[in-house]
Amino acid sequence: MAAVYKSLSKKDSKKSTTTDDNGIKKNKQRVLVLSSRGVTFRHRHLLNDLASMLPHGRKDAKFDSKSKLYELNSLCELFNCNNCLFFEARKGQDLYLHCSSVPNGPTIKVLAALVHTMEELHFTGNCLKGSRPILSFDAAFDKQPHLQVIRAQFQRIFGVPQGARKSKPFIDHVMSFSLIDGKIWVRNYQINEEEASKVKSAEAETDATKDTDLSLIEIGPRFVLTPIYISEGSFGGPLIFSNKSFVTPNQVRSDMRKLKATRHNGRSEQTRERLSKKGDLGLRSNIGHERQSDGTDTKMLFA
Amino acid sequence: MVTKGRLKMALAAEKGTDFKKLNQKKKAKEASKKKATKEVVEEKPTESDEEEEEEEEEEEEEDVEGEEDEEMGNGVNLDAIDDSDTSESSIEMEKRLPRKPKKDQKTQAVEAKPNADDDEDDEEEENEDEEDIPMSDLEDLSDAEKEDLIPHSRLTINNTSALLTSLKRIAIPSDKSVPFATHQTITSTILASEAIPDVSDDLQRELGFYTQSLEAVRQARTKLRGEKVPFSRPKDYFAEMLKEDAHMEKIKAKLVEEASNKKAAAEARKQRDLKKFGKQVQVAKLQERQKAKRETLEKIKTLKRKRQETGGAGLGTNEADLFDVGIDNELAKYDSRSGAGRGNMGGRNGGNQKRQKKDEKYGFGGKKRHGKSGDAVSSSDLSGFNPKAMKAKGKVGKSRPGKGRRKAMASR
Repeated sequence: MAAVYKSLSKKDSKKSTTTDDNGIKKNKQRVLVLSSRGVTFRHRHLLNDLASMLPHGRKDAKFDSKSKLYELNSLCELFNCNNCLFFEARKGQDLYLHCSSVPNGPTIKVLAALVHTMEELHFTGNCLKGSRPILSFDAAFDKQPHLQVIRAQFQRIFGVPQGARKSKPFIDHVMSFSLIDGKIWVRNYQINEEEASKVKSAEAETDATKDTDLSLIEIGPRFVLTPIYISEGSFGGPLIFSNKSFVTPNQVRSDMRKLKATRHNGRSEQTRERLSKKGDLGLRSNIGHERQSDGTDTKMLFA
Repeated sequence: MVTKGRLKMALAAEKGTDFKKLNQKKKAKEASKKKATKEVVEEKPTESDEEEEEEEEEEEEEDVEGEEDEEMGNGVNLDAIDDSDTSESSIEMEKRLPRKPKKDQKTQAVEAKPNADDDEDDEEEENEDEEDIPMSDLEDLSDAEKEDLIPHSRLTINNTSALLTSLKRIAIPSDKSVPFATHQTITSTILASEAIPDVSDDLQRELGFYTQSLEAVRQARTKLRGEKVPFSRPKDYFAEMLKEDAHMEKIKAKLVEEASNKKAAAEARKQRDLKKFGKQVQVAKLQERQKAKRETLEKIKTLKRKRQETGGAGLGTNEADLFDVGIDNELAKYDSRSGAGRGNMGGRNGGNQKRQKKDEKYGFGGKKRHGKSGDAVSSSDLSGFNPKAMKAKGKVGKSRPGKGRRKAMASR
């Protein structure tokens, strides 16, 4: 009976933004968080961390395919999610994130690097599970359209919508996104409020603002995202942005290998040259050219 | 052939315009840079000729390859369609556009030699647009310099209008018309890339992020307070936390350990310093003692001399002076201070306690053998002898019963 009532009362729950009584559109988001197969422990921990930070998120089992990503759309529909955060692991070491809004795009693909998870003990902060974060974006996110799209997408995924089911009423952490060198650095801090010291409070009273001192403690996780492309559809469709200066980790690795190889090649080349040079001198009988035997040779004279 | 003639005309018209542009560009580039690579210099005068040649070649190939080309053409067409989707993309894409109709009409293979030339041209265009270094210059670079270059192999796709439409589709309203609590997003006014000039400097970078977030929190708090949204958590509000208690316990243990390690290290360092300093102190003390001794002896000497000088004229002197009490006092003082242990430990200075102990333990000064055997002194020592006990001997003997009686007592 309850189920029937629910289904009746939530007729328009599928819409991402529904109009409230006072005309303000209500922000409704649900995020499906899942990974591909072949993630390392670090990737898995990152996924767990992010999932625990998103009370509007739904964690699902590993997705089996890396080529048929469009199947995620129906999966999201199945779980009533209008956003998808998909962790794609490649070669058991590289982690790509697909951030998509599901029915009709866009999808942002980024490479996640320098991942530190919440497990690490040097992140001493802590916050309520499911409290709504303040999202702090760098000024660069205002400048270019693709960054604006990324910001909007992150707002949908990482920003907990007001009145989300498991969200807590107080605000005690802040997520910051900063763009440096075309990479997005993500940090998550606890907001630590302390009573202002006596001297300061005296000043504060004169200012007629009784505020506690704010300080931040890092909670984790921290990671760096490099945008790769933005496609128009959800897990598909034409590319509307692609990062030209993105170098794949494979490329980086192969360059490193080649660099090492050139060192070795140079050295072996030198050895070869040296040997041939020695041979040319004719100091040894077995290397290089034989000396010309003429009449004055000892062997000839005393044969 | 008639159709082809028309085609050729159209092509020529198109290409003509295209190459005018190209020429202008190249001239402009030359003027600005004033250093043209050999290729550019060679190409410039002969370009129009080359172009015609290319067209002729293309025609010939078309004749020869006929069917194959049509098959290949499909792929090209697909490419063209894809490209035309991004019709309002950035400059590079627009530059490419005028060429596409030609490809569509002709449905020609891309692999042909003249098209390869075209590709080169395209690359050159891109290079010019970005004012990058031309590829020909790259070859002259040393290996070390080449490592730093990022190869720009792929095309830039930046379809602004499509981006804006999708932005409009997904954007959560965050302007002033909606309450801040609905989105809680703050875009700072400071560019992080300016605040953090060097990414590899960890401390500076983290500080940059910290300040950005702190500023955002300050703004958010004022806004949320204005909207009467609860911000800070009351002390008696307990709920599930992001990190469990066990994990926080671990963190705390680690912090404690770190602090204690730091403390221990500081202590050890202090001890080391003290040891270094302590030696100096010891030396100074010894010197001081030596000095005191010298002074005392000096005083004694002067006193003795004074005594001699005054001689028998003891009328003016008091009793103490008369009997050399001053000297005795001084001597006693000296003895009690430095020579206390001299007698009992075979003439050793008693100042060093450790030495004393060691001497006691391992022996110093004289043999230890026969230490317990009697000698003249011990035999003449009658302190332990009690004559009364000797006299009461008979009584003592009575206290022990006979053997039989003792046995009987034991058996009872």
